[in-house]
Amino acid sequence: MEMLKAIAIGLPLTVLVTILALMIGTVVALPIVAGLRSRNRLIWLMSRGLVDLLRGIPPVVWLFMLYYGISIGAVRLSALQAGVLGLGVVAAAYLAEIFRGAISAVPKGQWEASSALGFHRATVWTRIVGPQTARAAIPAYTTFAIGLLKDSSIASTIGVSEIVFMSSQYARQSGSGILVFFVAAGIYILLSVPLGLLSRHLDVKMRKAVAR
Amino acid sequence: MEQLMIELNPQTTQPVVQVKNLAKAYGSNVVLRDVSLSVAEGSVTAMIGPSGAGKSTVLRCMNLLEQPDSGEIVIDGHCINAGKKTSPKSLAALRRSAGMVFQHFNLFPHMTVLRNVSLPQERVLGCSREQANEKSMELLKRMGLADKADQYPSRCSGGQQQRIAIARALALGPRVMLFDEPTSALDPEVGVEVLEVMKELASTGMTMVVVTHEMAFAENVADELVVMADGGIIEKGHPGQILKDPQHERTRRFLRAVLER
Amino acid sequence: MNNLVDVAIEYGPTLLGGLKVSLTLTILSLALGLPIGLLFSFGVTAKNKAFRYISVFFVEVGRGAPALVLLQLMYYGLPNANLTLSSMASACLALTWTTAAYSAELIRGGMQSVPSGEIEGSHALGMSYRDCLRFVVIPQGLRIALPSLMGFAVLLFQATSLAYSVAVPELMSQAYSIGSSTFQYLPVFIVAGLLYAAISIPATWLSVGAERLLSRHL
Ligand SMILES: Nc1ncnc2c1ncn2[C@@H]1O[C@H](COP(=O)(O)OP(=O)(O)OP(=O)(O)O)[C@@H](O)[C@H]1O
Ligand SMILES: [Mg+2]
Repeated sequence: MEMLKAIAIGLPLTVLVTILALMIGTVVALPIVAGLRSRNRLIWLMSRGLVDLLRGIPPVVWLFMLYYGISIGAVRLSALQAGVLGLGVVAAAYLAEIFRGAISAVPKGQWEASSALGFHRATVWTRIVGPQTARAAIPAYTTFAIGLLKDSSIASTIGVSEIVFMSSQYARQSGSGILVFFVAAGIYILLSVPLGLLSRHLDVKMRKAVAR
Repeated sequence: MEQLMIELNPQTTQPVVQVKNLAKAYGSNVVLRDVSLSVAEGSVTAMIGPSGAGKSTVLRCMNLLEQPDSGEIVIDGHCINAGKKTSPKSLAALRRSAGMVFQHFNLFPHMTVLRNVSLPQERVLGCSREQANEKSMELLKRMGLADKADQYPSRCSGGQQQRIAIARALALGPRVMLFDEPTSALDPEVGVEVLEVMKELASTGMTMVVVTHEMAFAENVADELVVMADGGIIEKGHPGQILKDPQHERTRRFLRAVLER
Repeated sequence: MNNLVDVAIEYGPTLLGGLKVSLTLTILSLALGLPIGLLFSFGVTAKNKAFRYISVFFVEVGRGAPALVLLQLMYYGLPNANLTLSSMASACLALTWTTAAYSAELIRGGMQSVPSGEIEGSHALGMSYRDCLRFVVIPQGLRIALPSLMGFAVLLFQATSLAYSVAVPELMSQAYSIGSSTFQYLPVFIVAGLLYAAISIPATWLSVGAERLLSRHL
């Protein structure tokens, strides 16, 4: 019980890091997707390179660069800032790929039909392609969110006192490592259950709205 | 209830296939009710009927791809009773005696054409690789496909793929060949290649049951025509006779729809 | 920029030595984890209860828990059970677990997407259940799963960077120790990052290429 309490103290930070990184990732992903869909070769190449680089370097390296390597004048990023920022930009790259895939999964005929009907570009995005893209992206998006929840544990390496950080600390103090880490594993698994359920719920809802 | 079955003349030779009182339902959806059928040695039976009549289900029950709820199936002396549990051994024996050709070929895409035809011989009959390959090449030649042996199925046209599937089934030396709409997935022009092969097969005395929408094949090649509707056999007899003078109103309606297209 | 080049020249050999350890760890974990994953892919739906429960436990925990937790479990946790492993061995065990768990699901997905018609075809030919698995389902399932397994291998390679937390002398831990002794954090981490990228990015292209190639063939 005492153990559970000690670990659970890290829960809010785990959730916070995950949510903030997901928000940053989602927002930053949008311009990257635009870049990946651009007909301008240079913009495309730069976006492609950015995505590959962000995904090609392990998140822990990004966090270390941001935390230990960056100082603006005398100011360094806090562990939380570095963690959220690092995980957020890496998430942006993965999410950009997910969104790009979902957009290209919308059949070409939908664009053609929309043009034939004389819709505005904005209308096409908000009414036709947007909803179908969201529908296609949701399963991958939630899977990614669950992955991000687990990756938020990487923030412990730069000292963000989330679940894994608290678990290690408690394990060191109490010397009961096996149980502590199994409990930590259990917490992550429990946390991902509601996300999975939410995903299924959204999927069912969207399926009703956008029948295939 | 009206008795839908029409009794046949007693067969002179021992039938190769006998289906007795077959019934099958998916949940509350009754798909087959009391279907009985016998197929004489060397004869070709064509099965026609509207979509959803249960033609595929009859065929798939014959080699136990579908488990019937009740009834009995005898193929070449191997007897399967729906009520009793079938041993894997008698199931294998039954399936060996019945070759099946599907609408969508169901070739193995990750093996060459030759491997597709040879592997079942090796695994089911226990042939050596050389024996199997020799037999396969002979069959592929007969199908006019000897040059395709080392290709992958995806590189062959639909008609070629279906002929490979026929060769694959024939290679196991079945006593009866079951065809489930073998030309429905093919362009008419390509379908002809397959029909030619089937005609040739019939002329060599192979016993065949063919579910088809090809009326010309049913009329010219089949010895016996079976008309199914709503999970039962409503009419059977000589093809020419039935096509000229159908007895059952449902048959008339179906034939009008098919022929007047 | 000069700084970067200096660091790369001076510490290149040490970092490359670390990269070698990272790659070794990746390959060992794959070599051990993939066969176990294949086993688990059957286990999670097996009729035998003990086999099924064990498989489900390892697959669910292996996928549900962060790799970092598994690493620390093996390194700091196992000594409680009177089993002390070297840092390399415990990292290898943890990542093998991750590999087995993820690959089990990927392989199962691959096998499920083998068209049912082909399985029926083999049944209609009288092939046994085992032969159907051996000649039709497993080879095609693995083939379908191959691109995603390759994608996973890239992620696994990146995950080895977490093994620094259990004192495996891989690339990340070399970079960190150089960084903390020279305070040249940024250039060292950039060089280390580029080394990771130099492996991951082409490997990702390879997996994308494999996907295109295979989907064309089938
Ligand atoms: N696996 C199944 N589960 C539930 N219902 C099924 C299944 N297979 C077939 N059915 C139902 O059984 C009925 C008969 O199907 P069957 O495929 O035998 O018809 P068919 O005469 O071959 O038709 P078609 O000409 O379209 O091939 C149909 O109503 C079908 O919906
Ligand atoms: Mg059918």
